[in-house]
Amino acid sequence: MTRVPGKATEEHAESGAPPAAQGTVAQDTAGGGPEAAGEAAGGPEVPGEAAGGPEAAGEAAGGPEVPGEAAGGPEAADGAGGGSDGHGAPDGRGSGSRFGGRWHAAAFAAAVAVLLLGGSAFFYGAHQLRSTPSAQNRALTDTVATERVSGEVGDGLARIFSYTPTGADATARSARTVLGGRAARQYDDLFAQLRTNLETQKITLNTQAVRTGVIELDGDTARLLVLLDQTSRRDEGAGTSAAAQLTVTARFQENRWRIVDIKAR
Amino acid sequence: MRRARVLAGAGLAVALAFCGTGAWTYAQARTDDALAFSRERDDALAQGRDHLAVLNTLDASTREHAETGIKAWRDASTGPLHTELSATRAATGASARATVTEAAVTALDVRAGTAKLIATVRVDVTPQGASKTTSDRKRLEAVLERTGDDTWKVRALSAVPVAGAGAAGSGTATGGSEAR
Repeated sequence: MTRVPGKATEEHAESGAPPAAQGTVAQDTAGGGPEAAGEAAGGPEVPGEAAGGPEAAGEAAGGPEVPGEAAGGPEAADGAGGGSDGHGAPDGRGSGSRFGGRWHAAAFAAAVAVLLLGGSAFFYGAHQLRSTPSAQNRALTDTVATERVSGEVGDGLARIFSYTPTGADATARSARTVLGGRAARQYDDLFAQLRTNLETQKITLNTQAVRTGVIELDGDTARLLVLLDQTSRRDEGAGTSAAAQLTVTARFQENRWRIVDIKAR
Repeated sequence: MRRARVLAGAGLAVALAFCGTGAWTYAQARTDDALAFSRERDDALAQGRDHLAVLNTLDASTREHAETGIKAWRDASTGPLHTELSATRAATGASARATVTEAAVTALDVRAGTAKLIATVRVDVTPQGASKTTSDRKRLEAVLERTGDDTWKVRALSAVPVAGAGAAGSGTATGGSEAR
């Protein structure tokens, strides 16, 4: 018992606890009212807290540190320390333990460390739960946004893939509001070729989105699977129907969903 | 000295508040309906994809292989589709291998445990004895049902018909036709 506190005192001196504070504590202890003893127990709390992390691990070490400090003054303080311990408890700390003051300091440091660690763990856990790709994807969870994007994309596809021999301009115009990015450039190339045939061969194409499913909706980007029915008619002939399946990437720009990429499936 | 105690008290209060807020945030995330819904949606999508691939695949090169394939169909299905597939008898014939190229959940009712899925499937069909395969693209709509904890199975499966084409099949579009 005598060896351990001595060692702890040395360590403490090395670790550079404010010597002045140590001095005053010792003096106070020597000055010896029961109140001073309470202070002495209170004093080490602050270095304990400042030491933070390692202190939690060193809970056991925290114990000897406190007596070390109390013994930091004159040799006689040993006796005074014992006495002050006795007074320490009635000083309003409430614990009946003989080591009341010391344990309070150690337990306090440990409690703070545990609380901080626990809080951090909770925050981390909550963050983990919310940041999974599954959680980020608001398809169907945000019904309003999901309906809006599928409506606008389905409608947009129907408009840009529907044309009549005389209405090519209208289709090209609507393409400008529906498409953006890569899809707009691809469509322009395609439509330029198509346009020459359109009037000579009198082709009519009518497209409808029959099913739209939102695969992914994250902020202002969405990916959808759209099943289309297309009916084409040449001149006055009978129409032929075909199915088309597209994966569409849409981006929310200028207050509407624009199709920026189209892939056939 | 008194200040130290006040500081210590304040420190403890802050630590308590921090931990409490953390716990509350975690509890919120844990019980968040939207998060639970997202998990269900992705479970249904992933399992639905796998099941659709299985239901459109059949190795009918030998009777044994066909038998295994039909057993896999039964495992992937439930309800009326399961009953229908159970009646299928194994026979040799053309083989089919399916890949789901894209799929999306179009409806999900977490409480009822039902989901609707649309998918595009590429099916490579190899006639018996031949090595040349022909590819076919299908678009399917499936109804899934949650049969157990986090287990989704296909309850109904149909091709999405092309309007105006008339003849396009609206019945079940399983690999069943290839098996017979």
